[in-house]
Amino acid sequence: MRSGQRGTFRERNFKYLLVGPAIFVLLLIGVFPLVYLLMVSFQGITMTETSTDFIGFANYRQLFSDARLWQALLHTVIITAIALPIELVLGLAMAQLFLDRLPGRAIFIALLVLPVVVSPIVSGATWALLFNHRFGPINQIIGWFMGRETILLWTINPNLVYPAIITAEIWQWTPFMFLLLLAALGSVDRSQIEAAAIDGAGWWRTFFRIVLPAIAPVMTVAVLIRGLDLFRLFDIVWALTQGGPGTMTETISVFTYIKGFRQFETSYTAAVALLVIVLLSTLVMYLLRRVELAR
Amino acid sequence: MKNCFASMCWKGLRAGFVIAGMTLAWAGVAHAQSAAKTAADAAKKICAGKTITIVWEAGLQSLDPLNFSGPLWEKETGCKIKVVEVPTAEMFTKIMQDYRAGSGAYDALNVVPSWMPDLVQAGALEQLDNYVDKYGYRAELQKIAPTYRDNQMKVNGKIYGFPDDGDVFIMYYRKDIFARDDLKKAFQAKYNYPLAPPKTWKQFDEVGSFLTDNLKKEGTYGASFFREAPYAMLMFQERFRVEGGKFFDANMKATVNSPIGVRVFTEMRNENRFMPPGVEKFGFVENLATFLKGESAMTISWPPYGRFAAGYLGSEKALDWVPKSTIAGKVGYALPPGGHPQLALGFALSVATHSKNKEAAYLFIQWLNSEEISTKRVQLPYTLRDPFRDSHYTDPVYLGLWPDAKDYLAALKAASQTGLLDLSLIQTDTYEEALRQGVGRLWAGEDPKTILDDVAKQWDATTAKIGVDKQKAVYNAWAAKSGAYPK
Repeated sequence: MRSGQRGTFRERNFKYLLVGPAIFVLLLIGVFPLVYLLMVSFQGITMTETSTDFIGFANYRQLFSDARLWQALLHTVIITAIALPIELVLGLAMAQLFLDRLPGRAIFIALLVLPVVVSPIVSGATWALLFNHRFGPINQIIGWFMGRETILLWTINPNLVYPAIITAEIWQWTPFMFLLLLAALGSVDRSQIEAAAIDGAGWWRTFFRIVLPAIAPVMTVAVLIRGLDLFRLFDIVWALTQGGPGTMTETISVFTYIKGFRQFETSYTAAVALLVIVLLSTLVMYLLRRVELAR
Repeated sequence: MKNCFASMCWKGLRAGFVIAGMTLAWAGVAHAQSAAKTAADAAKKICAGKTITIVWEAGLQSLDPLNFSGPLWEKETGCKIKVVEVPTAEMFTKIMQDYRAGSGAYDALNVVPSWMPDLVQAGALEQLDNYVDKYGYRAELQKIAPTYRDNQMKVNGKIYGFPDDGDVFIMYYRKDIFARDDLKKAFQAKYNYPLAPPKTWKQFDEVGSFLTDNLKKEGTYGASFFREAPYAMLMFQERFRVEGGKFFDANMKATVNSPIGVRVFTEMRNENRFMPPGVEKFGFVENLATFLKGESAMTISWPPYGRFAAGYLGSEKALDWVPKSTIAGKVGYALPPGGHPQLALGFALSVATHSKNKEAAYLFIQWLNSEEISTKRVQLPYTLRDPFRDSHYTDPVYLGLWPDAKDYLAALKAASQTGLLDLSLIQTDTYEEALRQGVGRLWAGEDPKTILDDVAKQWDATTAKIGVDKQKAVYNAWAAKSGAYPK
């Protein structure tokens, strides 16, 4: 009896021994930085102060009264709220266009996907050249239509900075949406669509009643991934405006970079980073739960 | 006999004095001449085969150590130089990160002098006094032009860097335009004083707008400036003080939002109307191109503009990107309006605290900064290092580099004598960042008073966080320097 139980115990726990090292490494990589971040956020490390003594909740008190931080969050939310739906709609439209097998389809898709391959900072630098007030082609083309030289200050004019950043962002990441949604559309059950056509359903009705629900899970994942990426937006903003004019386009990542790496307010930056992690984690869990309930 | 003996004694003494004087003079000459040699000879013994890493501003600045001083040093000492090129905006960050990490990745550093209080307080810079005395460099340090020597070398009375770049804002203007009879006559009739490079900002406004009105059809504007926020911020610092402004009051409350500050901000924006369209986005290169192509009659910038405008680039491949000057021989040099130009950044050579080759790094920077080597370095066609020693301004070779070089060097010397220091406090960059953002908002069309009120608020918040008394001590020490405010 006892040797049987021991055998069962060994069998029961052997699998944990096998996956243990991998889980340990994952925890080390994933959890340790978070724990360290939490520790640093309760210290007072600055440019001139390197003491690791506990200072209580001072950084968190500062965080909640820092108007610039909340403005940076608002800027980030605005960019996300505008860019994300546009990327989704455009990506879906492009995926629908390329759904059918056409000559040269593979080449076109490869070309369409190129922006995703470009490094974001290179993309931002390129768009900075495109938006250049004197020599950039965008102002030149606008000038052709206007019939006179047009000098628009895309990265200074308060009415143009957000369109400039959002345009660059959409150009780069719509292909990502396109790829995911193309794959999702390709896996929709064609027999349902044919049945709907036979029953006299129009294209829009078929799309909203059959296609969209079928691709909803993939769409949710795509929106989630892009939403999280947009929240971390740094490269394009830094290349185009560096958060200016003033702090008008300062996103939470730009704000954190300035605080952490320009002003060396290490502990305060850790508190800010934790705030962002908590906010995003809450949002992600809520969304995933909604998707789960919907299913 | 007694008289004869006394006479012989006196003759002997006199001879002794003469010999001693000659010996001292010879030693002085030998000593002054050998600061570079002293450093090279000492370096041969301790760093042959080693590599010294030095942080240098990326781009044109780095051509000096990459093409001239680095190879020469290696040839003379056997010591290799590795240049780490870093954009100016990232230099402070990189230096502090290396210090905090304790990695010792950098041996020698280029630091902007206004950063020195922060870097010294953090512990990132090595104190150099012992090395200076060991290698007998004090005498040669005294020959650096006083403005740079007295204000960009020491923190709390100790040496932490050798001023190595005579940065200062100079006004460049088109002599030929100002000499035109038709313009002179019309200007005199309109403003009742002669057309000349402006001495006040009011005159600048009048001259600039007049020239634009009359020359725009010829493709030339009255003036152009680099208006991107980091540059315009420095110009604001200068003009604000020239107009009588003070950064802080006696209680360390920020006063940049005083009526003087608001007026300066307003005037800066108003001037854009007679400058080329899009001037708000002009950086160093765009403004240079505009001036070299003859599209503006006046500009203010660092000394390299004068060399580029004179066509002193020759056929330097490294400078292919610089537009060819169409105005060589037509450029005059003057102090900016107000007569007290901003020294505007500059560089000092320092040694990193965590360097594993401190002595070797020190010897390299002494050699670089020495009279003999620095005189050659500031004359390199591709250099951005500007004259900073008294001898540089009168060097016969430099004086002959182009026809107007004499006037150019005279202007640089005059500017260094009346120049204003960059604001330097604890966490200077935080204060400057607020001002940079303010400039960005100014070009975006916001109200100057509102902007400066916000800047002052941010400054006060930063001061409170650092500690009012602590910052006040640093500010008062800075304000007491001769170049802090116009005298």
